[in-house]
Amino acid sequence: MATPKELSGSNDVNNTVVGPSILISGRLTGDEDLTVRGRVEGELTLSRTLIVEPSGVVKANVAVRNAIVSGVVVGNINATESVELTREGRMVGDIHAPRVIIVDGASFRGRVDMGDVEPGRLPSQRPVVARPAAPVTRPSTAPARPSAPPARPTTPPPARPTAPVATTRPAPAPTVTMPARPASKPLPPPPPPRVEPRPVAPPVEPASAEPPTPFALGAGAKKKVVVKKKTR
Amino acid sequence: MANTVIGSSIVIDGEISGDEDLVIQGTVKGKISLKESLYVEGSGVVEADIETQNVEIAGRVTGNIVASDKVELKTDCRVVGDIKAPRILIADGASFKGNVDMDMKER
Repeated sequence: MATPKELSGSNDVNNTVVGPSILISGRLTGDEDLTVRGRVEGELTLSRTLIVEPSGVVKANVAVRNAIVSGVVVGNINATESVELTREGRMVGDIHAPRVIIVDGASFRGRVDMGDVEPGRLPSQRPVVARPAAPVTRPSTAPARPSAPPARPTTPPPARPTAPVATTRPAPAPTVTMPARPASKPLPPPPPPRVEPRPVAPPVEPASAEPPTPFALGAGAKKKVVVKKKTR
Repeated sequence: MANTVIGSSIVIDGEISGDEDLVIQGTVKGKISLKESLYVEGSGVVEADIETQNVEIAGRVTGNIVASDKVELKTDCRVVGDIKAPRILIADGASFKGNVDMDMKER
């Protein structure tokens, strides 16, 4: 919830508003924040923040820096920074953004791709999530990777194409996935105990084994979230 | 009154319709139809046919304007197109090229 404040605070100028009875159809582009209380259809491109208020309806392909959805969005959102679905937000479409926040109560159907997460932020957060599950990873993938063991940050990208479904990145996920995780059934990830023996083992394996795991976890968790929302 | 503002860096290519006032500081191309007032501010650029109740123009408009009440061209505005409205005001300093139709027949 800090995000909306941060965002609106940093942008002192927020002077474009589409009122509740207004319908804009066509292409809309701009370099300032846009608040939608009415309807926008077509294509929407902003270099700043899109705010869809509860009365707002956006049926468009959206390309923005940040999007905060409290209303309805039908279409794909491509954000360079973040997308947040608030409690009242409803969305159908795909999200492509390094940070995706889906708050409890939001409804969403579509795919999430956090693919462009900066490598700097990811590793710091991932170990917490990923390491316990590390041993779970299929050993089969390990042989292929030892060639580049030190390149931990670089490993995730190659992995992504192979598993397009597992578009989700675990890093920012905690807020989203937490509730789903207990119930989630990612692959067979039973052996957390094995963690201890592994680290002792050759350094090659852990290094190569870590990256894939997020997918198992993230994918499972994300799917769970999606399913949940669907059923509501 | 809920107010709709199209900010100065915004470009809309398409159609805007609605039942409320609209303030344009940016660029709109296409068509605008409102049941209330349209304000084109100094920084506003409109290349569109306009259909509203009232229009006040301080910026640039290219296109035909049909208003059910009033069209006001303010100082420093630049308007090219035909205007049709029962009341049309053109201020000193406004630049305008086009036909004016105040619908005398119906009155």
